[in-house]
Amino acid sequence: MSVLILAMVIILAVMSLAQTKTVPAVLAFISMMFLLGIYYILLDEKLLGLFQIFVYTGGIVVLTLFGVTVIGSKFPEFKIRPWAVAIVTVVLIGLMIVPFLIPVEAVHQTISLQQQVKVFTDNYSLIAVFMGVVAASVLYGSIRMLHTLKYGKE
Amino acid sequence: MTEFYIDAIAALILFAVGLYGVTSKSDFLKIFFSLEMLLNAVILLLASGAYHFGLTRDLAIAYVIIVIATFEAAAGVLIFILTNRITGEIIPDHLDKVVEDE
Repeated sequence: MSVLILAMVIILAVMSLAQTKTVPAVLAFISMMFLLGIYYILLDEKLLGLFQIFVYTGGIVVLTLFGVTVIGSKFPEFKIRPWAVAIVTVVLIGLMIVPFLIPVEAVHQTISLQQQVKVFTDNYSLIAVFMGVVAASVLYGSIRMLHTLKYGKE
Repeated sequence: MTEFYIDAIAALILFAVGLYGVTSKSDFLKIFFSLEMLLNAVILLLASGAYHFGLTRDLAIAYVIIVIATFEAAAGVLIFILTNRITGEIIPDHLDKVVEDE
């Protein structure tokens, strides 16, 4: 079952990049994210699965659809960069070798929802605030950059 | 253990697809999809590690990544729409021309 879902996820990921029309690409992207959410729920990580479905399938895809309304139904023509395939091949082979070199010991322990929330609030809530500040800075920088592009340097 | 390796390989393939999209595609929407795929590959690996080896901190990092992805999506769509307004296209390579014209 898990292999089937993961295979579907990869096929849908490729489909979302290979489509020439925008709406089928977005639909493939939605299905991919939804299947990943279902897979997390099957892995007994219910909170993460629901987060995935609500945030990605709900929020981010709505933002993407808003973008689709701007560009219309077809992607623009572009030229493929041939060195991209070489980079991806090298990185993929490198990354696939690493996990097999690291010895890991199985613990087999189920984590309750309360424990997950406790670890998050105890250790990582401050990082979330910090990342919020970073994201706000990036947002401000993006707006400034586009303002400069539009009107030139002041 | 085998199940973890299946998850790890699926995550790596997803990461590779995302990386290919980021490096080869030249319109904002597909680059945006590819970035989300990169993040999701990492989340998949963390969730699988948490399930198979009981690493609770992995899941906490996964939640933080989802928070970051939300910010990134908002900033990405903002850049995407404003670029479309300025250049009339969604190809980031053409932003250079706008700078040169100015």
